[in-house]
Amino acid sequence: MAEMWISMGPQHPMTHGLWTLKVKVDGETITDADPELGYLHRSVEKMGERRKYFMNTTLPDRLCYASSTTWTHCYVLTVEELMNVEIPERAKYVRTIMLELQRLASHLMWAGSYMPDLGHITGALYFWRDRELFLNLLEVPSGSRLLYNYIRIGGVKRDLPDGFVEKAERVMKLFEQRLDEYSDLFENSKIFRMRTEDVGKFTAAQAQNLGITGPNMRGCGTKFDLRRNDPYEIYEEIDWDIQTREAGPGYGDCFSRYMVRIDEMKESMRIIRDCFKKMPKGPTLASTIPVRAQGEAFRRTEDSRGEALMYIVGDGTDRPYRWKIKSPMFTTISAAPHYLKGYKVADIPAIMGSVDICIGETDK
Amino acid sequence: MEIKELMQELSAFKGVSNASMIRDNVVKLDIDKNSSKEFFTKLRDDFGFEHCSLITAIDNQPEFELVYHFTSINKSVTVGSTDMSVMTEVHVFLERDTPTIESISDLWGGANWHEREAFDLMGIYFVGHPDLRRVLLPEGFAGHPLRKDYVYEIHEEEW
Repeated sequence: MAEMWISMGPQHPMTHGLWTLKVKVDGETITDADPELGYLHRSVEKMGERRKYFMNTTLPDRLCYASSTTWTHCYVLTVEELMNVEIPERAKYVRTIMLELQRLASHLMWAGSYMPDLGHITGALYFWRDRELFLNLLEVPSGSRLLYNYIRIGGVKRDLPDGFVEKAERVMKLFEQRLDEYSDLFENSKIFRMRTEDVGKFTAAQAQNLGITGPNMRGCGTKFDLRRNDPYEIYEEIDWDIQTREAGPGYGDCFSRYMVRIDEMKESMRIIRDCFKKMPKGPTLASTIPVRAQGEAFRRTEDSRGEALMYIVGDGTDRPYRWKIKSPMFTTISAAPHYLKGYKVADIPAIMGSVDICIGETDK
Repeated sequence: MEIKELMQELSAFKGVSNASMIRDNVVKLDIDKNSSKEFFTKLRDDFGFEHCSLITAIDNQPEFELVYHFTSINKSVTVGSTDMSVMTEVHVFLERDTPTIESISDLWGGANWHEREAFDLMGIYFVGHPDLRRVLLPEGFAGHPLRKDYVYEIHEEEW
């Protein structure tokens, strides 16, 4: 049969944000693909060069609306490395708690948007209902529901209020019960497994070479998590394990990526509980924070979607000379032709949904 | 291999200068543009840096600077007995009149779009790249906006 190019997007239920996936099909089989980006490009890097270091904390919040705290945190961590700022012990714990709450909310956002991709509207409502619980928790110290601007250079905006620990414990207990329900609803569902198993496979070696990181890489068995392999904040002292899927059936496919995220949510709650136990009292913001910076620094963190890296060059003024953002999704989307080839057109929503695309951070 | 050994072996390579350790798990060095491709091939094949994290282009006026970050994921290089993963930060300097360098997208698939982005926003030409098109800005856009000498048409307010 003759081959032809089909354009999916920028307005398509599969895309989750504005981008175009051009696929070359032979009948129903995908033979090539060409993703196109740029619809959401806001030149965040250039904007950052015009504003002062402390003003910029609001910008990375807007990189990804589903996981905004992790991006602000990556920026703040880099600036602190550049300026040699030491932050108080308690602030590290508060940051870790907020990061893990954000990871839970982000993974739930993903799960909720992945289910309609597979025709499972009920799943969307269930997962988004639970995301609401964690958004309420994030709202308590930060005051907002989506873009928090909570993590500041030198610490956090304010301490966790009274009663936060009890409220968080209540939410996590409820959510754990619901996770058990969901394993019956999704993991044991034949239709869900038929759509996701043995679809969109890639190997660990492919993922590493193509720049696919985070839960997608751990889904193919690579035991690599920057919270353990390049520790920041307090992760070194916390008791937790890296979640991977071992080789075997369901290895490196859409279902394994789903399972890794579900297991990571359980692990995040374990981290939060351990933080509550070990958290010391004290201030949450450093007393003196420099304004100017000279030199260069980079830090990488484990974002909800993979390896986030920021590289900042300071020229001695109060604004960055160059601010470079590495988005994990940018390279994951670039690798789309490799994991789409050979599958059917009907598998595209299942595959592209499973890698957890966020166009805000990709287009910068 | 221990990270100290890595630094010694890398600094003995042709074209390498200013090798130093900027953190416990990060080696930083400069490489001459002409021997860069040979060096990157060695970095991937002999030292096991299987992941290209980032390619940054900086306009230092007048010359350009490229910063490569490579990660060793499977721990072929170690830091003592810790779980730390080792990174190499490579700096390459390019002259303003000839901002070209050999592409590494045949070595690391993940470098492909990083190079396209550096071309798009900073105007660095990667020789041997399979598909050097703009990636974030539309086709037909004039100039490279992250260069410091790029002139904006709109009025800019000073913050």
